[in-house]
Amino acid sequence: MLIEQCAYSNRWRRVSPAAKGLFSACGIVAAFLASTPRTTIILTGLVTMITVLGAGVPLRRYLKVALPELLFLIIAVTTLMVSVGWNGHVRFHLAEQTELDHIALVCGRSLGSIAALLFFCLSTPMTDIIALLRWLRFPEVFLDIMTLGYRTVFVFIEVIHDTTTAQMARLGYGTPRLAMRSLGILTANLTMQVWQRSTDLHQAALARNNDGSLKFLESEFHHPVRSVCVAAIGGCMLIALALTGVGQ
Amino acid sequence: MHIMEGFLPAKHCVCWGVASAPFVAWGLRTINKRIKENPEQRMLLGVATAFTFVLSALKMPSVTGSCSHPTGTGMGAILFGPAAMAPIGFVVLLFQALLLAHGGLTTLGANIFSMAIVGPFAAALIFKVSRTIKLPFGVCIFLAAALGDLLTYVTTSVQLALAFPDPAGGFTASFLKFASIFAVTQVPLAISEGLLTVVVFNALKRFNPAELQEMKVVSEQEVQA
Repeated sequence: MLIEQCAYSNRWRRVSPAAKGLFSACGIVAAFLASTPRTTIILTGLVTMITVLGAGVPLRRYLKVALPELLFLIIAVTTLMVSVGWNGHVRFHLAEQTELDHIALVCGRSLGSIAALLFFCLSTPMTDIIALLRWLRFPEVFLDIMTLGYRTVFVFIEVIHDTTTAQMARLGYGTPRLAMRSLGILTANLTMQVWQRSTDLHQAALARNNDGSLKFLESEFHHPVRSVCVAAIGGCMLIALALTGVGQ
Repeated sequence: MHIMEGFLPAKHCVCWGVASAPFVAWGLRTINKRIKENPEQRMLLGVATAFTFVLSALKMPSVTGSCSHPTGTGMGAILFGPAAMAPIGFVVLLFQALLLAHGGLTTLGANIFSMAIVGPFAAALIFKVSRTIKLPFGVCIFLAAALGDLLTYVTTSVQLALAFPDPAGGFTASFLKFASIFAVTQVPLAISEGLLTVVVFNALKRFNPAELQEMKVVSEQEVQA
């Protein structure tokens, strides 16, 4: 997964996840508070620059991750731009200027929020996010499901890769009918592995005197208080930019 | 079918979050109860979350000739129960937002409501009703998976129509507009997912009937037959 690779290899890997989460949250709030499309575009540019130049996420990877969301945005915005009416028969017409302004704001808000979300997920690995949620007092059982789920995802991805390779070598995906059959067998096999693997994990945990929730050693971060302060100042600046309507 | 980050107005994000919260809380309570009775359920639900996540990464041939991916709402609801699917769906949607940049954090509440609440509950209900009226096993599975999928997309269309009512035709016109656009991809996807789920359950019934019986998906007579 491309996001995972960036999250583990970026320059701010060792910066406190609380600081990155706070800055990202401020970015999203700023995108929602911005009153003009131009302001949202400026916010998007700023947050993207911080991700690429600050955290050191390669631009090509950044665009590759953002592209599917941008395509969804184009489809969604096009849908909003076309209005449907009924006058004996269905008729389509383009939105008026005031509506177009509102649509542009929605589009800008989405772009700003996506940039803030990408900043967080491209700079913070999932293990740090889980540690952050633990610090935020999320329910223990929820965090256990997250931890186990995250660690098992990669096991399943490996199983899928090996099985599909074996199936393809036997022309298992030669026709749509064969593909459906192969996929059905693969999914049934995976389904049964859910029980087999969970039983194995439970027995392994019991063998290590597991008494309930799963606990792991958490990473240590450089100057967490200073990072949070810097992130708070940066986040407040984004919100101030949105409120003052820079670019109007 | 995910609503993307920042697309819904703030009020709608909060409202859908508030609407989803009781279901997730109830699901967590149910899971806690299950774990107290059977501690191995902790591992099972964690691994089930990974399974649901990777299921959405599988490419599935669609009846229109294109490729799509299954949602797994129907299958998850039949196997693990709809109550457990709310917190599992929450984690899966969070993973999709943070690991794939698919969906978002502000739209998490709305996406949970459509994909982890409406879809699984509808699929479980349809499966139960169709079993009660004694439809063939394969038909029950197909209806639960396909209609669970369709109702998910109808809910997403309602959410978008409520957020962006058409200036001329209001909510109804907007709903029809979003639903007809989604229908192009979602109706073939629902049929494909229904067929795939039938193939999966047929394979499970053939190779692992004891597990299906344990989960009360099939009866003892059906296993012996």
